Amino acid sequence: MKQLTKIVSSVVLFAFTVLMWVPIYYFVIGAFKKRTDIVKHPLVINLKMFTTENFSYTIKKMKLFSALGNTAFITILALVLIIIAGSLAGFAIARIKGKLFNIYYGAVVSLMVIPFIGALIPLISLIKDLGLYNNLWGCVLIQAAWNLPFAIFLFTGFMRGIPKELEEAAYIDGCSTVGIYWRMFLPLLKPVIATCCIRSGIGIWNDYLVTNTLLNSVKMPTLMVAIYQFFGQYVSEYGYAFAGIIMASLPVIVAFIFLQKYFIKGLTAGAGRG
Amino acid sequence: MEKKTASVPAAKIKKSDFERSRYLTGVFFLVPATVLSFIFVIIPLINVIRYSFYEWNGISDDMLWVGLQNFKTLPTTEGFWQMCISTLIFAFGSTALIVLFSFIVAMALDSKNRNRVSRAVYRTAWFFPCILSGSVVGILWRIMYNYNNGMINKTLKGMGLSPVNWLETYGLTNVAIIIAAVWFQMGLCIVIFLAGLQSISTEINEAAAIDGANEGQIRRHIIVPLMAPSITINVLTTSIAAFKMYEMPWLISNGLPGYSTRLLTQRIHFFGIESAKFGLGSAMAVLLILVITAISLVQLVVLRKREDIY
Repeated sequence: MKQLTKIVSSVVLFAFTVLMWVPIYYFVIGAFKKRTDIVKHPLVINLKMFTTENFSYTIKKMKLFSALGNTAFITILALVLIIIAGSLAGFAIARIKGKLFNIYYGAVVSLMVIPFIGALIPLISLIKDLGLYNNLWGCVLIQAAWNLPFAIFLFTGFMRGIPKELEEAAYIDGCSTVGIYWRMFLPLLKPVIATCCIRSGIGIWNDYLVTNTLLNSVKMPTLMVAIYQFFGQYVSEYGYAFAGIIMASLPVIVAFIFLQKYFIKGLTAGAGRG
Repeated sequence: MEKKTASVPAAKIKKSDFERSRYLTGVFFLVPATVLSFIFVIIPLINVIRYSFYEWNGISDDMLWVGLQNFKTLPTTEGFWQMCISTLIFAFGSTALIVLFSFIVAMALDSKNRNRVSRAVYRTAWFFPCILSGSVVGILWRIMYNYNNGMINKTLKGMGLSPVNWLETYGLTNVAIIIAAVWFQMGLCIVIFLAGLQSISTEINEAAAIDGANEGQIRRHIIVPLMAPSITINVLTTSIAAFKMYEMPWLISNGLPGYSTRLLTQRIHFFGIESAKFGLGSAMAVLLILVITAISLVQLVVLRKREDIY
């Protein structure tokens, strides 16, 4: 009886996992099929249906490489800003005593809960006033600023755990506070930097709202805006849409395959320890 | 500590000098983060509250002070209550289903007879959709739900059933976007539950088994209560994510039929971009921020409490 329930639960779990992967299977094989084949035989693999035309069409029409460049530019520069500003602030909060730093930490934690959509409308006029409309730097700064509270939270938490003796030894050896941050803490921070890059990096890469609002989607597309505009509401060419989906997510998927552990850790970080 | 330094004045001066320079360096370290947050987070948040008291189209110089009028007009705008209801249905529906299913999956994955490799493979498989973007998931599910050509209706027809109009049926379309959200977001909850389950020591289970508890009793009386913190965290994070969701449900259903699947986030975007009613949009944004902040405060209180326990 016990054996039976075990087998049944294993089979049910397996069946549900397969069911959950059907949509993924559907778009991956669909990207290599013509529209009529996708519609008629949604789940069949047949070498006769194979085509790469979807990809060549999508790359051309979606301005894929310029979209990819813009997305990469925003993501990388925003991450650099987040890591610099976040680790500096985290160091000050975690290692230096003073009421100011405690208050600052409280403010940071409370900013973590504010949803971006809430500030969308004032940001539109702010960006226009600053002359940053349709400028990638506007997106970089906004993404950096909105991802910063979580980064500071992570960095502070990690740096609080570093033993004080290490720091004291460095002071005795004549190291300045800046030197301690730069030579001692920054190298120790690598795992948090990885967590932070993955968490914020995926958010920024996959973002639609910020870039759609602040960039002209025709002149300055990012990947998610491009596929939204191209395949959004009246999609009928499924093959093109699937090819677009694959290419827009490919960098993240490749990174996921190699850095799985960091991904899972990064995306669930801050959700409590178990 | 203080007494010690007081007895050696020279050391005290030296130390306070050192402390002061360290303090100043710390303040200096806060500057980049403060400048960024101030310009792009704090000022917009102050402005969203300010704008909500004005009538303004976002471009012209004349902002008309209307006091609380925007908040009074808001409930009378077209479809407001339907949108509130659809947001609540979406948030509570997806949260309940995500937490329930991911708990079941996590329990199945954690069972002791499963080896580590298969558990890791399953975990990766279930986690995968989380790394996709809202736009991608939205487009994918819109295609799958298509009435004539979508995969779901094709499969139903293949099984001899009649096709279902997923995207234009009152009620059913709400279910459709919830299903997509469950598929999209379950992975995160599963991982958090798995971490929680692994922290329950096997001795407790063994002790209960020796005392004669069967598997169902262990599950009900030991695992579920011990998992309460993980459940709370998942409920809160998932519901916040659902209240924030924008492009995924919009791409699937377009808010149709009527206003029945339109969410408040989508309305804020509409007021801000398409119809240039900055005042009304800001009033709605203030409402949404209040709702999400309230849920988050509960979360923070719960987290604090747990920190006290451990």
